[in-house]
Amino acid sequence: MIELQHVTKRFGGRLAVDDVSLRVPAGEIYGLLGHNGAGKSTVIGMMLGQVWPTRGHVRVSGFDIATQRRQALRNVGAIFETPAFYDYLSGWRNLQILSAYTAPTPPERLREVTDWVGLSARIRSKVRTYSHGMRARLAIAQALLPAPRLLILDEPGEGLDPEGIHEMRQTILRLHRELGLTLLLSSHLLGEVEQLCTRISVLNQGRLLFEGPLPQARAAGNWVRLRTASFPDTTRRLFEARLIIAAGDGHRVQLAPGVPADELVRRLVQWEVAVFEVAPEKQTLEQFYLNLMKQPSASPGPAAVAPGDPAGCLPPEPPPPEDGTPPL
Amino acid sequence: MFRLQLRNELWKLFGKKRTYIGFAMFLAAELAIVLIFRYNDSARHQLTAPGVEFASSLTCATIITLPVAFILLPLYLALVGGDLVAKEAEDGTLRMILARPISRVRLLGLKWLAGVLFAATQVVALGGFALLFAALWFPWQGMFIVVPGELMAVFDAATGLQRYLGAHLVMISKATTLISLAFMFSCFNIKPAAATILALSVIFTDHILRHIPYFADLKHWFITYHINVWQYVLTPSIPWWRLGESLSILLAFNITFLVVGVTVFQLRDIKS
Repeated sequence: MIELQHVTKRFGGRLAVDDVSLRVPAGEIYGLLGHNGAGKSTVIGMMLGQVWPTRGHVRVSGFDIATQRRQALRNVGAIFETPAFYDYLSGWRNLQILSAYTAPTPPERLREVTDWVGLSARIRSKVRTYSHGMRARLAIAQALLPAPRLLILDEPGEGLDPEGIHEMRQTILRLHRELGLTLLLSSHLLGEVEQLCTRISVLNQGRLLFEGPLPQARAAGNWVRLRTASFPDTTRRLFEARLIIAAGDGHRVQLAPGVPADELVRRLVQWEVAVFEVAPEKQTLEQFYLNLMKQPSASPGPAAVAPGDPAGCLPPEPPPPEDGTPPL
Repeated sequence: MFRLQLRNELWKLFGKKRTYIGFAMFLAAELAIVLIFRYNDSARHQLTAPGVEFASSLTCATIITLPVAFILLPLYLALVGGDLVAKEAEDGTLRMILARPISRVRLLGLKWLAGVLFAATQVVALGGFALLFAALWFPWQGMFIVVPGELMAVFDAATGLQRYLGAHLVMISKATTLISLAFMFSCFNIKPAAATILALSVIFTDHILRHIPYFADLKHWFITYHINVWQYVLTPSIPWWRLGESLSILLAFNITFLVVGVTVFQLRDIKS
């Protein structure tokens, strides 16, 4: 649905987005992750033709956004961090105005959408009288008009209270489940992204650090839960054999790149170490994200990680040894 | 589709309270001027010569129109014109619009047209209120108009009304130019107030320069030399060539403002 090819954006001398390439496949809930100022909103701005790339190409629904804007955005809806409306007009009038920029929309369709978001009772009231949650619902309603196939949400949970965030999350899942929409959402709320997204990309200082399915991100890092009679002795021998690159928490080891878990088991059996548990461990998105941010490539400099390369998500240096186990 | 979108722009424009400030102030200022003329003997006597009653509704309406069109009209047109694009950018609604498949050029075309329609309604209101209030307190007679050093004319009531209506029709060109100027600044990445102030600054600076005696030979280069061409419709013999020349130059100014505004807006990044 969306394709960015080597997109770079400079604002004067400041590099906001640096050679980003990514693809948002149809049917996904795609999360664009990054801290404030990472370049998420700029990337979304370029997807919507609001920000001109300095270099590279952006295609939406198969059309170049710069030269075929009408076709590219015909089936796109968008919701921004702080939904802005004409507060002095009614919700209904706002929907009429905004949808008319895409195509004439019959009143039946407007009613259908306001019913869907649960705003029918107040749709004739002026927007200035709406609560924050009602404005969020109106934002969803306008994005669903006339009939998009792709929805872009820029920080949709920003400024909402916990109930509002829960409601927004349920709505996003409904949009995906009931209407079959492809969704792209940017956020720095890792918990939200973890609960919603099927695929993610991570930006830091305008550079893409990771792009791939969420399970791949969780599995990245190659951590194994290991319980043996003596964790310090075992990890010392594993470091010596270059099978692991990190150990921690008294029961976790990180396998060296290219070392499968069964190799670890085979060695432990060979060394006659009493093993009580060996299990691959999935990271939380937060662990994955924080590990990614610690990488040298997360700071300005040449990119070290190719999109979709799980090996690139490994921390480059082992954390300080624990339990007295010295790394070699 | 274009009509639907234009209707929406008008809804937005006329849905705002600040759009009506100009109308309200015309009403108040013109009512005040009429009442002063009516109840201040000294003022009224200046319109009276022995045996001739010049204080007619048409005379009074024209006298009201001159200062209001000179000062208040540019003020409120700059206020609304400066808002047209910059206010939407400031409020964030521009980002909502530009997430949709409408081109920036078309959007600006719609907004400019809505602005021009607003400018025309301002002129109609200015002339309409003046004539209405004057007719309430002064008799329907011929028109006598004097602008020291510029204009002096006497018309019968029918001709006077024609000239009054014609002058307001031409005044729409002034209003359009003023709103186009403010609209151009509104397309820049600046606050609405800044766009308004810039537009007014250009007009006032232009007026100051034009009235420096040493620059008299350069008067053709100033906008204010052309935007007040509507007053020529009130002269005994209308200088059609002069009228046509100024209207053509105003058209060129309008096109220039529009092209500059569209170009700047087209190149801009729209961010929150």
